[in-house]
Amino acid sequence: MRADRYHHLVVTLLILLLALPIVATLLYSLTQRWEASILPEGFTLAWYWQLWQDARFLTAFGHSLLVCVGTLLLSTVIIIPAAFVVFYRFPWLDRWMNIIILLPFAMPPVVASVGLLQVFAGGPLPLVGTPWILVGCYFTIALPFMYRALANSLLALNVRDLMDAAYLLGASTPRAFLSVILPNLRKGLMASLFLSFSFLLGEFVFANLLVGSRYETLQVYLYNMHNASGHFTSAVVMSYFLFTLVLTWFATRLGRQD
Amino acid sequence: MYYVEISGLSKRYGTTTVFEDIQLGLKKGEFVTLLGPSGCGKSTLLRCLAGLTEADQGQIRVDGQDITHLAPQKRGIGMVFQHYALFPNMTVAENIAFGLKMLKCPAEEMARRVAEVIRQVELSNKEHHYPHELSGGQRQRVALARALVVEPRILLLDEPLSALDARIRRSLREEIRDIQSRLGLTTVFVTHDQEEALTLSDRIFVMNQGRIVQEGSAETIYTQPATEFVARFMGSYNLLAPTEAKQLLGLDLKGHLAIRPESIQLSEPGRSYPAHFAPVAAIIRQHQLLGNIIRYHVEAQGTTLLIDHLNRSADDLLPTGTQIAVLIDRQQMREVH
Ligand SMILES: Nc1ncnc2c1ncn2[C@@H]1O[C@H](COP(=O)(O)OP(=O)(O)OP(=O)(O)O)[C@@H](O)[C@H]1O
Ligand SMILES: [Mg+2]
Repeated sequence: MRADRYHHLVVTLLILLLALPIVATLLYSLTQRWEASILPEGFTLAWYWQLWQDARFLTAFGHSLLVCVGTLLLSTVIIIPAAFVVFYRFPWLDRWMNIIILLPFAMPPVVASVGLLQVFAGGPLPLVGTPWILVGCYFTIALPFMYRALANSLLALNVRDLMDAAYLLGASTPRAFLSVILPNLRKGLMASLFLSFSFLLGEFVFANLLVGSRYETLQVYLYNMHNASGHFTSAVVMSYFLFTLVLTWFATRLGRQD
Repeated sequence: MYYVEISGLSKRYGTTTVFEDIQLGLKKGEFVTLLGPSGCGKSTLLRCLAGLTEADQGQIRVDGQDITHLAPQKRGIGMVFQHYALFPNMTVAENIAFGLKMLKCPAEEMARRVAEVIRQVELSNKEHHYPHELSGGQRQRVALARALVVEPRILLLDEPLSALDARIRRSLREEIRDIQSRLGLTTVFVTHDQEEALTLSDRIFVMNQGRIVQEGSAETIYTQPATEFVARFMGSYNLLAPTEAKQLLGLDLKGHLAIRPESIQLSEPGRSYPAHFAPVAAIIRQHQLLGNIIRYHVEAQGTTLLIDHLNRSADDLLPTGTQIAVLIDRQQMREVH
């Protein structure tokens, strides 16, 4: 009983500790002043009002959404067929895929950026400064999340028998894939899409080094705003935080449904 | 002239030969079993017949038509898999209707045929359940219904019962046999369970290491095993090495002597016996109760023999250590190689 209470205490303290900066940021974003007093003064929604009317913020937010959604569309279109082919035709490739998908993570983004800047600054593919290079980079970040989630779904499916059963009932390969494999991947796919999305929305290093203000995304905007009022940037952070919170909640809900 | 004729069929994966020069003929409406130990190539043979795996050599003909290179969709062959292979995103009714949908069957006819086959496999009131909500036996009925509803020319069953528990296995196999004979469906059933093969089949093909080692009716396979392997595989045959056969029965043989446990009788020493029996003095070492049968392990001059004795009453039981005479029916002995 006492051990139980002790455990609760530790967990509660940990949660408080973790929540502290978020709560402080939230309070800061909702008040006018928090300088001389212990508690902030002058509750206001003005910062949020100002933020959500700022055309530059909205543009940056839109850019972020476009880059992330574009990346995820590309990933979906490429990774689903790839994972399917691996599990249906070449199951032994899965071991190699697991190594390949982690390779981009072996290199720190800053280092990778230097290389990418050299390759794509000019030459036949001058992508630096355009959102396209971000889509490419982000694809490599989303890849492991999505591949693993799809691989787990496919592993649980017994793909070969399902395809064979569908063939014998008269289905062509595309038809069999669309009606008996794809619907069973939806759950894993949605969960990994949401996770990748919240991860990508917070990405800063590639966005800043490869594109920067030429196609300002949310994180770069936040960085460029560091001279603005702390109350205002707190409102940016909180808006971003709530957005990802909702997404993550969705992702976990989707992951739990059976 | 057979309805299904497989001739000279071979399959290799790299350097390993799965099976070689398979000859096999099925009559229309026949229930045939491929029986063999794990890894002998049964599933691969079945998959070649279904068109799911391409054979390297040989020919498959159905009803006079060469289907060796025909796509599986066009063969008119239905298959039931060991692990059901039901579509998890579809209900029972949707699973069963899938094949009809691929045939572009009109909606009313589809509903009628699905309902009919669901009634046949006794799954009424489960139409709207998903596979994961069903028991193993129910799932396999759905799989059976899904294969049957499109009225295939041939039905293939790859160890359909081996993931089920013993009781369900027995009842479902009778149901499968029942439906098969009602529909007059040409059926190939794969199993490694000799009891299953013996109870179900019109004909059995025993496979070992990629070859068909014997074919025949259940009686033939059981009472006249062609090889030592078949004798061992078909159950608890007594197999005497040439030296043992010489010692016990004075026979000069090249191969093993196969004697079924139920063709040996227990007797008292000194009793008379018909001329076609060979008497051997023995001592009872152990017994096992197998329900209606008592299986004695007796020892005769260092050789252990199994004897099956009908369990008529508890008073019959002979205690361990009893000196007895065993009478071996000469007409039931077989030399196998
Ligand atoms: N795709 C494949 N690649 C390589 N070898 C294979 C392949 N499929 C089967 N084999 C080999 O062929 C042999 C026969 O396999 P098969 O599945 O036909 O046996 P089986 O008689 O059905 O066995 P079980 O009773 O265990 O199902 C095995 O040795 C197996 O390793
Ligand atoms: Mg098999």
